[in-house]
Amino acid sequence: MLPVALAVVAALLFAQGMVRLRQRGRADIAGWDRAALFGLGLAVTVAALVGPLDRLAETKYLSVHMLQHVLIGDLAPALMIVAVRGPLLVFLLPAQVLAPLARSMRLRAVLSTVLQPRVAFGIWAANLAIWHVPYLYDLALRHDALHYFEHVCWVVAGLIVWTLLIDPGSHRRLTVGGRIALAAAMFAAGQVLTDVLVFSLHPLYPAYPGRIDQQLAGIAMMAEQLVTLGTLAFVLLRPRMRAARLVHA
Amino acid sequence: MSPTDFSFEPAYIVVAVAAAAAYAWAARSDRPSRLRVASFAIGAFLVAAALNSPLETIAAKRLLLVHLLQNALVADIAPALVLLGLTPAMKAWLTRHGASRIRARWAILAWLAAWYGTHLAGFYNWALDTGWGLNIEHGLLIAGGLLFWWPLVAGRLPAPAALAYLGAAFVASSFLGLAFIFSEHPFYSFYEHAPRLWGFSAIRDQNLGGIAMNGEQTLVFLVAIGWYVSRLLAEESAQER
Repeated sequence: MLPVALAVVAALLFAQGMVRLRQRGRADIAGWDRAALFGLGLAVTVAALVGPLDRLAETKYLSVHMLQHVLIGDLAPALMIVAVRGPLLVFLLPAQVLAPLARSMRLRAVLSTVLQPRVAFGIWAANLAIWHVPYLYDLALRHDALHYFEHVCWVVAGLIVWTLLIDPGSHRRLTVGGRIALAAAMFAAGQVLTDVLVFSLHPLYPAYPGRIDQQLAGIAMMAEQLVTLGTLAFVLLRPRMRAARLVHA
Repeated sequence: MSPTDFSFEPAYIVVAVAAAAAYAWAARSDRPSRLRVASFAIGAFLVAAALNSPLETIAAKRLLLVHLLQNALVADIAPALVLLGLTPAMKAWLTRHGASRIRARWAILAWLAAWYGTHLAGFYNWALDTGWGLNIEHGLLIAGGLLFWWPLVAGRLPAPAALAYLGAAFVASSFLGLAFIFSEHPFYSFYEHAPRLWGFSAIRDQNLGGIAMNGEQTLVFLVAIGWYVSRLLAEESAQER
């Protein structure tokens, strides 16, 4: 029930931020579309971690387990960060909480380190690689605490890279080309894992003996990355393609 | 016929030699760099060697895996290398003589049509049964590959459009390899009845063929995407300066 409780807290924080912004007459940057996106992100997280999907992931299918990981580590963070981009990001925490956090030099140092593109990609890729080592995968399935920790790692790694990809606070840590490069690097790294799962002719994880299931796990990861990173690339490249077309004309 | 025997599609020796002769003739007035010469030579060699060697024997008589690998070589890698070997003047000459009409959106469709069309069971079995049909199959794949890579190599697409082009092609073409990987029944009756090699059953042969095809395409497309991403970054840093 922990994921549900955390989702409720996140929803309440988002709601208070949205209300405060709307009270200031800024409904234009705190519209219902943002609420829908944030709600969808939370719903994806909760649906992935609670209920039948979680049961199937833990007991039966590697493909469902992989889907669960990419949902909580990729799609959900992407949706939630898109939802809070702009001033809403600052209003997400009440002033009494935000002010001391913003003054904390240690927190600022940690954030500025992990949000360096190479560090962020390193964290994301290491998380992807480490948790797919068969021994650790198996261990996490047998120990609930480790499994929760694994899921936290997915969410945190996802939030870090998607913060850079979407740039909700307009910090411009990366140019458009840099964001495309990061997305391409993530896809390439994901593709390595996909290929290992799809091309392997023998099951790699003792808890999941099905070869087809394992191949489907690889496809699930590739498909999800194509949807999320592909959409991002399309949104980022579209204005440039238009501009290039106009120059050509 | 032993798998190590040579088989030939002599038409493609002629094509490779004619292309090399044309290249040498064009290079008299516009000297290409060694890298370009190497690229063109390897591309032409891949076409000739893949279709005139024991690879052809195994592909046409025994294993779908090798046939699919052969197709990936002649449709993806060889055309790209051949075009990368052209000098700007050679590309300008081709542009003046009809290549300017090649539009990216049609090129990608033609490439996909060749890619999927030649792998339809009816066509594939017919090409294998007749033998000479393989010439048509490979011709379509080479032509499709040349059409596909031309808009990129000719510099017709700015980096963002090139990335979209490559991304769309990567996604659209991957389904064929995946179909081979996940299939539980052989698609081609020819290989069901072909003498087996290396102990692969017909279905394992097909699954491995899909893996080889998907692996090759992943590698080729990720390299190409990486190249255009680096160009995008270079353009941005040039603009900043």
